Amino acid sequence: MSLQQLNSTRFEEIIYDNCEPCLVIFSKKECHVCKEVVPMLEELKPQYDGKFGFYYVDVEEDKELFQRFSLKGVPQILFFNNGEYQGKLAGKVEEESVEEKISEVLGV
Amino acid sequence: MANSYDLIIIGGGPAGLSAAIYGGRAKLKTLVINKGTIGGLVDTTREIVNYPGYIQVSGPDLMKDFKKHAEHFNVEFLKEEVISVDFSQEEKIIKTKKGKELSAKAVILACGSEPRILNIPGEKTLRGSGVAYCATCDAEFFEGEDVVVVGSGDQAIEEGMYITKFARKVTVIVLHDEGVLDCNKVSAERAFNNEKMEFIWNSTIEAVLGEENVEGVKIKNLKTGGSSELTCQGVFFFVGMIPSTHFLKDSGLETDKRGYIPVNEGMETNLEGIYAVGDNRVKYLRQVVSAAGDGATAAVAAERYIEELNYFNSNIIQSDKKILLLFFNVLVNESLEFSTLLEGLISENADEYKIFKVDMATKKSLAGKYQIEKVPAVVVLDKGEEIKRLDCSMDKEQLKSQLS
Repeated sequence: MSLQQLNSTRFEEIIYDNCEPCLVIFSKKECHVCKEVVPMLEELKPQYDGKFGFYYVDVEEDKELFQRFSLKGVPQILFFNNGEYQGKLAGKVEEESVEEKISEVLGV
Repeated sequence: MANSYDLIIIGGGPAGLSAAIYGGRAKLKTLVINKGTIGGLVDTTREIVNYPGYIQVSGPDLMKDFKKHAEHFNVEFLKEEVISVDFSQEEKIIKTKKGKELSAKAVILACGSEPRILNIPGEKTLRGSGVAYCATCDAEFFEGEDVVVVGSGDQAIEEGMYITKFARKVTVIVLHDEGVLDCNKVSAERAFNNEKMEFIWNSTIEAVLGEENVEGVKIKNLKTGGSSELTCQGVFFFVGMIPSTHFLKDSGLETDKRGYIPVNEGMETNLEGIYAVGDNRVKYLRQVVSAAGDGATAAVAAERYIEELNYFNSNIIQSDKKILLLFFNVLVNESLEFSTLLEGLISENADEYKIFKVDMATKKSLAGKYQIEKVPAVVVLDKGEEIKRLDCSMDKEQLKSQLS
């Protein structure tokens, strides 16, 4: 299942207004590591349907967003809950690390 | 069986895809297992100017063409990561991370290599916060900042120059004496002429400094032994590659101490039916063109091996008559004379025996299986089982007595 792409307006709504527990991957087209990590998240997404959101930001289309989090590279997966930043995973991460981090954020 | 193939290729870079093209064209049921994007390391290369027939092409575009070519020959693709293998039996077993089990008669290992990690303080913890390995991916995040590049090979210098398009300054940390870079001469010259590039010679990097983000690096001078610190916001590591062969550790496959797989001229490893091609094997030149050559060689070798295996299984093991496996070599006259003698003898008595001639030059795996080193040699099989070996006498009566 493909990830929903966010622009800065949608980002505000989902993260800060709805306070949804979710992850956002910051990625770009010309990045081979991203091409490995994004499909992994797409496969993981259905398992968390309704419990944890999976979103996508293209850093070339939304520069302002990555500057706000002073990111230094892609891919990076940022985790949020209750409108608060909960940490990030950078580079080529394994499925297990993402699952672990989600459990941590959800407090289970 | 759905998961059973003639040929499975692990890795979808130029070596694996070339093997797939040859395998598919030879009408082998061929599968490529690839964990990331198709193209391997080439997929990260912006510009390729030395692959014959393409004056200038991007890595991803070239690999798309390779893949299309393989698909044209009905090669199947599976996007999965292989975590373990069992190469001990004739049927080779491959297990993936998602729990899939696949089998093949022959396997080509084209797993490539991955960036070496130095394992110095800060390298892991600051990854994505200033520590980077891919200029195409991350250079633009360092707009107007100071960046350190570690290494002086082609990749380090070429990527370093790409980073100068964004960064204020790029400082390259080089192990060697002043003026000596490991990269090609054209790139070296361009780098020396690039105003934004600076070099620190005879040095290596000891630690990446910073809490949340990279704030600097600790540099050690190898000549004086002294340490110094340099402020920067980014560090790109290009300190060579290691072969991605760790999942093969317990397979019985021979590797050198760095993990590269040694092969012979036919890309054969120490295990029968297992081949290694491209960057994960011991080799002189690691380029797309040599990877493609490896792939073609291995696929042809695998095709011959599979053909031999199929022939052997259908004609030898299932034969009603006893089989005389006659090993010969056209260069050994004695073996040819013996062959004529034995064939004459058997034609007089064709009820009990059938001869199966094995050319030592092409059917190496059979010779290996029965540990034949000298020709002529004859192994007698009954329903595929060895029952005895003949003393290859040129005396007809002596030979005849062994067959009665």
